Amino acid sequence: MNTAAALPILIPLVLMIIMIINRSDTLARWTGVAGSLLLLACSVYLFATVRHSGILTLQAGGWRAPFGITLVIDLFSGLMLMAGSVILVAVSVFSVRFIREDCCNNRFYVFFFSLAMGLNGSFITGDLFNLFVWFEVLLLSSFVLITYGSTPQQLKGGVKYLALNLLGSLFFLAGTGLFYGETGTLNMARLAELLREGEYSASLNVSAILIFVAFGIKGAVFPFHFWLPASYHTPNITITSLFAGLLSKVGVYAMIRVFTLLFMHDQVFWQHLFLVVAGLTMVIGGMAATAQYETRRVLSYHIISQIGYMVMGLGIYTPLGIAGALFFMIHNMLAKTAAFMVAGLIRRVKGSYELMEIGGLYRERPLLAVLFIVPAFALAGVPPLSGFFAKFILIKAGLEDGHYWITAMAVFTAMLTLFSMIKIWNEAFLKKTPGNHPGINPPVRLNWIDLFPPAFLGSLSILMGLFAGPVFRFALEAARVLTNVSPYIESVIYGLSP
Amino acid sequence: MHQALLIYLTVGGAAFLFPGVGGKRRALVPALLLAGFFLFFLFKLPFIAETGAWHQVILWIPELGLNLEFLLDGLSLFMVILVAGIGALVFLYSRVYMKEYQETGRFYLYLFLFAGSMTGLVLSANLIQLFIFWELTSVLSFLLIGFFHEKAEARRAAFQSLYITGFGGLCMLAGIILLGSIPGSYSLPAWLASSAAIRASSFYVPGLLLILVGAFTKSAQFPFHFWLPTAMKAPAPVSAYLHSATMVKAGFFLLARLAPVLGGTPEWKYIISSVGVLTMLVGSYLAISQKDIKSILAYTTINGLGILVLLIGINTEQSASAALIFLFVHAMYKATLFMMAGMIEKKTGTRDIDRLGGLARHMPVSFIIALLAALSMAGLPPMLGFLGKELIYEAKVELPGINFPLLVLGVLSNILMVAVSLAFLYKIFLGPPRRYAVAPDEKGWLLLAGPAVLALFSLVLGLFPDLIGNTLINTALPVMHAGAGEVDLKIWHGVNTVFFLSLLTVFFGLLLSWLIIRKTTLLEAWRRMNNAIFYIRFSELFSAAIDRFIAFSGRKEKVMQHGYHRYYILTIVSFTALLMWGKVILGGVEWPEMHVRVESFFIPVLVGVMVPAVLYSTLTRSRMAAIIDMGVVGYGISLIYMYFSAVDLAIMQILVETLTVVIFVLVLQRLPRFAILSTRRTRIRDLTVALVFGSVMTMVALFAVQANVPKPVSEYFQDRSLTDAFGRNVVNVILVDFRAFDTLGETVVLITAALGILVLIGKKTGKI
Amino acid sequence: MEVILAILVGILFTAGVYLLLRRSIVKFIIGFIFISNATNLLVFMASGLLAGAPAFIRDEGGEKIIMADPVPQALVLTAIVIGLGITAFTLALKYRFFQVTGTDDLDQLKRTDQ
Repeated sequence: MNTAAALPILIPLVLMIIMIINRSDTLARWTGVAGSLLLLACSVYLFATVRHSGILTLQAGGWRAPFGITLVIDLFSGLMLMAGSVILVAVSVFSVRFIREDCCNNRFYVFFFSLAMGLNGSFITGDLFNLFVWFEVLLLSSFVLITYGSTPQQLKGGVKYLALNLLGSLFFLAGTGLFYGETGTLNMARLAELLREGEYSASLNVSAILIFVAFGIKGAVFPFHFWLPASYHTPNITITSLFAGLLSKVGVYAMIRVFTLLFMHDQVFWQHLFLVVAGLTMVIGGMAATAQYETRRVLSYHIISQIGYMVMGLGIYTPLGIAGALFFMIHNMLAKTAAFMVAGLIRRVKGSYELMEIGGLYRERPLLAVLFIVPAFALAGVPPLSGFFAKFILIKAGLEDGHYWITAMAVFTAMLTLFSMIKIWNEAFLKKTPGNHPGINPPVRLNWIDLFPPAFLGSLSILMGLFAGPVFRFALEAARVLTNVSPYIESVIYGLSP
Repeated sequence: MHQALLIYLTVGGAAFLFPGVGGKRRALVPALLLAGFFLFFLFKLPFIAETGAWHQVILWIPELGLNLEFLLDGLSLFMVILVAGIGALVFLYSRVYMKEYQETGRFYLYLFLFAGSMTGLVLSANLIQLFIFWELTSVLSFLLIGFFHEKAEARRAAFQSLYITGFGGLCMLAGIILLGSIPGSYSLPAWLASSAAIRASSFYVPGLLLILVGAFTKSAQFPFHFWLPTAMKAPAPVSAYLHSATMVKAGFFLLARLAPVLGGTPEWKYIISSVGVLTMLVGSYLAISQKDIKSILAYTTINGLGILVLLIGINTEQSASAALIFLFVHAMYKATLFMMAGMIEKKTGTRDIDRLGGLARHMPVSFIIALLAALSMAGLPPMLGFLGKELIYEAKVELPGINFPLLVLGVLSNILMVAVSLAFLYKIFLGPPRRYAVAPDEKGWLLLAGPAVLALFSLVLGLFPDLIGNTLINTALPVMHAGAGEVDLKIWHGVNTVFFLSLLTVFFGLLLSWLIIRKTTLLEAWRRMNNAIFYIRFSELFSAAIDRFIAFSGRKEKVMQHGYHRYYILTIVSFTALLMWGKVILGGVEWPEMHVRVESFFIPVLVGVMVPAVLYSTLTRSRMAAIIDMGVVGYGISLIYMYFSAVDLAIMQILVETLTVVIFVLVLQRLPRFAILSTRRTRIRDLTVALVFGSVMTMVALFAVQANVPKPVSEYFQDRSLTDAFGRNVVNVILVDFRAFDTLGETVVLITAALGILVLIGKKTGKI
Repeated sequence: MEVILAILVGILFTAGVYLLLRRSIVKFIIGFIFISNATNLLVFMASGLLAGAPAFIRDEGGEKIIMADPVPQALVLTAIVIGLGITAFTLALKYRFFQVTGTDDLDQLKRTDQ
C-alpha cells in the first residue's frame, strides 16, 4: 500500500489542468519543463522504492484486489516510467523553441500532459479494463497532437492514424469484455492466478488474439504497422520525437505485460506467433527504411524494424530474452527520440528533410554531427553504445535457446539498420551541399536549448552502454518477475511484499 | 594494463578536448603516448618471457559473461609492440603529410582512437570485449577511410569497408556466443580449458564458420578481399597503418588466438588453408597488373594476408613461427612502402606507375629506403623478408601429407611477388625519368623518418635474426602452438630443398620482372587479358547488389505502403479473422451450443427490426437515410440494454446516440453526397472479409456467454455497494467508487476530445 | 436468446467492417459507430444475460437477491462515453479534413505514404 504510486497519474493531471487555465505562452513552456522534471523525480523515487522494498501496489479507493482497480509498480513498470519521463523531459525542453515553428499556441502542453497521463497510467495499472481507458487517453491525446498543425498532410496522416488505431482500441475492448465473460475478473494478477490454477477453455485463446492484434496495432508490428509510416513524418518534429520515443513502446509494453502474465496455456503457439511476427517486422521495416530518402521516413520505418527486436525478446520467452527486450526498449526510446530531434535540427539548419537536398553538415556543424552519430551508431548497434548491448543480449538469448532463424534475421536486420544510418550520415553530413539547394541564408544559429535534448539523450545512451551492467541487472530482475509471476500475484492480491 | 589504456584515453582525450593544447603539434601527443606504450611493453618482455602471461580481470557485466579481461602474453605482446611502434611512426609521418588538409583535428582523433582500439583488441582476453574493440576498429577505419568525404568514391570505399567488416563482425559475434555457450563463458582461458569439449560439440562447425567469416572479412580474404584495395582512397598514413600492423592483422590475430582452442581439426585445416591459398594467389596475381602504386601495394597486402591465413590453417610448429616472422616482416615493409607511396604522390602529384620514373636521382634517400623494403617484400637476402620466406618454405616442406600442391602454389606466388617488388622499385626509381610539374624533393624529414626506421629494422634484424628470434618470437610461439620449442633463425641453412626452392623463386622472379619492365607490350596484353578474365569487379558488384536491394525494398515498400488506407484495414481485419478462425478450428475449442431458446418475443422482434436497418444503412446511397438507420440501430441496442436490466446503460446509449446523430447531421450538411466509388468485385471481396470476421465474432460472443464462470467481483460489489459505499445503484457505485480510476480516465478523454475539437475547428478563426 | 444476440453482434461487425472498407469517410464513420456498438453489446452480453433484474439494492437486509452482473454495465458505460468523445473528435477531424482537402474520398489520402 503506497499512495505515492498514484503520483505518475496525478501529477500530469494537475499539470494538465494548470495548462488549461494558463494562457501565457512563456509560462506554459517553462511549466512544461518543470513539470516533466517533477515527473522524472517522481518516477526515480518510485523506482528506487520498488528496488528497495519490492512491488508497490495501491488499491485505488481502498477496495482490495481483485475488486477495485489496483495500481502496480513492479520493476518493469518502474523502468518504463523512468525511461518515459526522461523522454518527456527531453521533449519538453526541445519543444521550447521548436513547437513555435508551425504551431501557434501552447495548447500543445495540455495534450503533452494528457499523453503523459495516459502513458503513465498504462505503465502502472494492474487492471485490464483500466489499461484500455489509459490507452484511450493516450490515443486521443496523440490524435490531437498528430493533427495539431491542421495542414492537409497532417490531416491525411491523421485520418489513417486514427482509423487504424481506433480499430485496435475496439479490438482491445472486445477482448477485455470477453475475458471478463470467460473468467469473471479484470484484475491482471487475479487473471494470471486463475489461469494458472484451473483449466480454462481454449476459447480464451481466441479472445486473446483480439488483444494481441490490438497491441500489435499500437506497437506497429507487422502486418499492423501501416499507420506509422503514413503519419509519423507529418507533424511538427517535436511531436514526432515524442511519439517515436513513447507511443509504439506502450504497445510493446502492454504486450509483454499481458502476455507474460496471462498466456501460460498454448505457449508454443504464442511463442511461434511472436517470433514469426517479430522476424517479419524487423526485416520488412528495415528493408523499407533502406529505400527511403527522407530522414523522418527512414527513421520511422526503422522504428518498426526495432519493434521487431522487442517482440523477438518476448517470443524467446526466457528471462534473458525478456531482459533483452526491456533493455532494447529503453535503449530505443532514448536513441530514437534523439535521432528524430537531430533530424529536426538538420531541417532547421538546412531547410529540408530530404537527403537529396541537404549536405555538408560534417564540415559546417561538427557538433550536430556528433549529436547525430551517437544515436545513429547506437541504433546500428555499434559498441560500446547502448544498442550493442541490446542486440547482444537478444542474440545471446536467441542462440542459447535455439532460435536460430530469428537470430539470423536479427543479424541481417542489424546490417540493414547500419545501412540506413550510414545513408543519412553520408548524405546529410559527408557529401557537399547540393548546388541547387543552398539551404538557408543567413545560417541559422542553434542555441543550447536546441542542442541540449539530443545531447542529453545521446549521453544517456553512451552511459547506458558503459554502465550496461546495472541497467541489465534491473532488466533481468524485472524479467525474472515477469517470467515468474507469483511475486506479482502475491503482492497484488494478498498484499505481500516479495 | 587497463591503467595504461586509461592513461592513454584520458591524456589523449584531453589533448583533443582542449583545442588550444598542442595546436599544430597535436599529432605529437598520441605519437608520444604510443611510443610510451612501445617502450612500456618492450620492457615487459623479460617479465612475460619468464612468467608466461599477465592476466587482469575487471568485473563489468558478469551476468552476461562480459568482463574486462586483459591478457598480456607472448602473442599480444608481439602484436602490441607492432601496433604501438608503427602507430607512433605513423603519427609522426602524418604530422607532415596531413598539414595541408582541413579537419585534421578530427583525423588525429580518429587515428588516435583507432590505435587505442587496436591495442585494446590485441590485449583482450574476453572474446566479447575483443569483439567490441573489433567493431570499434571497423567504425573508426570507416571514419578514417572516408577522410576525403566530399568525394563520392571515398564515401563508397569507407562504406564498403565498414559494411563488409561489420557484417563479418556480427557473424563472428554470433559464432562467439554459440561456442561460448559450451564453456559458459567468453573468457579465453575458459575456452582453452574446455577446448576439447568445444571441438567435440555439434556447435563446433557452425560456430567455427561464423567466426571465420569475421576473421576473413577483417583480414580481406577472398572473396571478401575487395574492400581493401578500394580502401586505398584513404590518406596515406591511414593506409600505412591499416595495412601493416592493424585492422587487417586483427583477423589473423583472432585466428592465432583461437588456434589452440579451435585448431587441429580437419575443418580448421582445410577451410582455412584453402581460403588462404586462394587469397594468396589472387593477391599476387592481381598485384602485377595494377597501375596505381597504392593499388599494387594493396594487392600485395592481400597476398601477404593469404600467406598468413594459410600458415595458421596449417597450424604446425614451423608454420606458426613462420607466420609470426612473416607478420613482423610484412608489417615493416608494408608500412614503409605505403608511407613512401604517400610521399611520392605528394611530391610528384601522381600514383600512376607508368607516369613515374627516375626518382632515384631526385630522392636518393627515399630510394634506399624503398630498396630495402622492396627487397624485404621480394624475400631476398639480406633482409628479414628473406628469412620469412625461407621459414614458410620450410613449414610447407615439412608438412605431412599435402605439401606438394601447397609448395607449388607457394613458389608460384612468391615468383610473382619477386617480380612485383622489383618492377615496382625499378619503374619508380630507376626507369626513364619523367617530367614533373615541380621537381620532386625530399623536404620534410618526418616523412622519411618513419620509413627509414622501419627499413633499417628490417635490415638489422635480417642480419642478426636472433635479436627478434630469441625475444619476441620465442615468447609468442608457445601461445600459438603449445609446447613449441625455440626457433632457430639463420640466414644460411645449407644446401637443402628450401635452398633450391629459393633459388628457383629468385630466378623466375627476376625473369618475370625483366619481362614486365622491358616488354611493356607484354604487360599491356596481360592487363587486357586480366580485364577479360576477371571481369567481375567485386567492389562494383557489391555496390550494384546494394543498389538492387534498395530498389527491391523500394518496390516492396510501395506495394505494402500503398497509401490506400482501406486496404490497411482489410489486411488487419483479414489477418485477425483468419487467426481467430484458425484458433477456433485447430485450437481444440469446443463449439458453442447453437440451440435457440426463445423466452420472449421482444428480442426477436427487436432484432428483426434492427437487422434490416443495419443492412439498409450499409447499402443505401442516401446519407440521411444511412444516418437515420444508424440511429435506429443505436436505439435498438439501448432497448436491448433496457430489456436485460441495464437501465443506466440504456439511458446513456440513448443520450449518446441522439448526440451523435445530431452532430452527424450538422457536420453532414457541409459534406458532399455519397458516390459509388467501388466496383462490384471489390464490394464482394470486402463483404467476404467482413462476413468472415463477423462470424468469428459471433463465435467468441457465444463462447463467452456460455462460459458461466463464477463472478466473485460482481457479487462483492453487490454485497458492499450499500454497506460500504452507500449507494443503491450498483453500477453507479462501481463507476464513482469501485472503479473510480476508469471514470477519471474517461473524464480526461472527454476533456481532451473537447479541447482537441477546439484546436481543430478553432484554427480557422485563429483563436482558442 | 443469446444466440440471437450473438448473431446480431456478428451482423453488426460484418456491416461495420464492410463500411470501414468503403472509400467515403462518412461511411467509414458510420462503420466505426456500428463496430463500436457491436463491441459494447459484446462486452455487455459476455458475462451472461439476465432480464428484468437491474442492479439496484432495494432492501437493507443481508438477503441475497439475484441481479444482473453490474460490472459489464459499468464497463460499457465507460466505453460508451469514451466512444462519444472519440466519435466527436473524428467528426471534427472529418469536417476539418473536408474543409482543407475538399473531398470525402479516402483514396485521396494515399499521398502521405509516398
